[in-house]
Amino acid sequence: MNVGVRVDRKLDHATIVLSGPFDLAHSTEVMHAVKSAEAHLHKCRSAEVSLAQVNRIDGSGAVLLARLLDRLAANGCRTDISEGGNPEAARVLALYRRHRTDHPSLPSRTMNPLTRLGAIAAQIPARANDAFDFTGRCAAALPKLAAAPRSVDWGSLPKLMQEIGADGLPVASAANLLVGIIIGFLGVSQLGRFGAIAFVPELVVVAHFRELGPLVTAIVVAGRSGAGLASEIATMKVSEEIDALRSMGFDPIRWLIVPRCLALALTLPLLTWIGDVMALAGGLAATLAITNMPARAYIEATLNHITAAHLFVGLVKTPFLALAIGLIACGQGLLTQGGAAAVGRRTTSAVVQSILGVIVISALFTFFFALLGI
Amino acid sequence: MLMEHVTFEVKRGSVFAILGGSGSGKSTLLRHLIGLERPQAGRIDIEGVGEPQHHEGAPPFGVLFQSGALFSSMTLAENLALPLTTWTSLRGPIVRELVQAKLELVGLGPFSEHLPGEISGGMKKRAGIARALMLEADLLFFDEPSAGLDPISAVELDQLILALSRDLGITVVIVTHELPSIFLVADDCIVLDKAAKGIVARGDPRKLRDESKIPFVHNFFTRSSPGASTDPGG
Repeated sequence: MNVGVRVDRKLDHATIVLSGPFDLAHSTEVMHAVKSAEAHLHKCRSAEVSLAQVNRIDGSGAVLLARLLDRLAANGCRTDISEGGNPEAARVLALYRRHRTDHPSLPSRTMNPLTRLGAIAAQIPARANDAFDFTGRCAAALPKLAAAPRSVDWGSLPKLMQEIGADGLPVASAANLLVGIIIGFLGVSQLGRFGAIAFVPELVVVAHFRELGPLVTAIVVAGRSGAGLASEIATMKVSEEIDALRSMGFDPIRWLIVPRCLALALTLPLLTWIGDVMALAGGLAATLAITNMPARAYIEATLNHITAAHLFVGLVKTPFLALAIGLIACGQGLLTQGGAAAVGRRTTSAVVQSILGVIVISALFTFFFALLGI
Repeated sequence: MLMEHVTFEVKRGSVFAILGGSGSGKSTLLRHLIGLERPQAGRIDIEGVGEPQHHEGAPPFGVLFQSGALFSSMTLAENLALPLTTWTSLRGPIVRELVQAKLELVGLGPFSEHLPGEISGGMKKRAGIARALMLEADLLFFDEPSAGLDPISAVELDQLILALSRDLGITVVIVTHELPSIFLVADDCIVLDKAAKGIVARGDPRKLRDESKIPFVHNFFTRSSPGASTDPGG
């Protein structure tokens, strides 16, 4: 049976006879039938609505009918419902008419690209303020930390080091090994053109120990542990665990952030050092694979070029990179407001900002050491 | 095994409560009823649906989870529109009209553009009910609907549940242990007991409160400790 809304008009009185199924499955037909009937109800003073032939009605059908009756009433048309042995339909219709509320329509949250750009720009001062505020609170926490060492969750430090260091070792080692292989291949292909394959071990040592080792390891840690820390603290924030800590007199910065930053600062140099060894192995493997250089000669050349300066220049920056990752990740976590979506957004921001921060800090160190001639 | 030999029927158009203390398996039973978990033995049969675990396509029933379980990145209107745009071919103005009507039905008309994080716990639950109604299911499952609400919000929610059941003819299955809610809305109930690994009583909750001779059931409805007197009058 099709949906029908028949209008019998006599001067300014109309009889509206509804027939068929008025349900969700037929809501498009109901909407079209209602619209076409409404055209015949212009300037109508009274209308009787017959529900006798409605063979099924649910909330969706009732809403569309109820809104028609609301519009008629708003135009001064009095409407009477004739149940016609269908009290269920009358009841559903009455329910939706009873709950009709008039309220000003709110502006949609959908923004055009220009508005979005403006909104992002408008957020910059607040974000900068948040970052400075967080950095300041971290700095202020250090003297308090010295005065009250028990305000730090030292017990979590071994577990955090295990999660950041030992659990992250395979992926950090693999990344460094592959970078070592890449430098090895690149060195052989480029230096080989000048007959300078003997310099490949030095290239691997210098490039990886001074720059790529700390950078690659820090990027891996930022992606892996930075995301983990940010999402953990963000989830604690939205589930009110941070508020609970505060209410019990704990400073979240000292209790949560200090051990995490410390764990990062202790493990990143170790991961970098192991990564350097893996890169040497990668460079060796690549060189042996495509040249006739004996392994013994490669190893001797490598050992000759590993100097304290190269090792120092690389490792000295790792605690700073670790602190940047820890502060950015934990800071983003603490700034989270809202629900699951906010956790995801803050985690993404933490990873992006950590990686960018790591690259910027590495570049500054390189510039600084170049000025010093180290 | 948490429960065994659990068999019950729910009368169409009624409000049916699944009651029991903490750890009695109420929520586990609900998760089986809505198809999130499979029974180790036996089967669940919902008339017109079959076994919920094997149902595919548009869900034949609506579910209100304890927290409302609204998607936090979507506005209330988007949350409500999601089942319609996923399971029907409806788009545009008609979806907006149906969504707005459901929000008005639960008293949230002016909040369509709000995010879940911007409204109270009671409002989230009402929005969850509105979302459960979007596909016009004639069977709704509510998990602890009034838990965590202030008494006024809890009563308002109970009255909404009653209105849905009486005016729309919807069958409502509620998991709860809130006695005021039970006595206000439930026509029929089962009482689960952890020790008995199943149902220890069934029937009209008001009658069970006044007439049950089972100590656990009597204590449950009178909120007395197991060691207290089992005399209803005392």
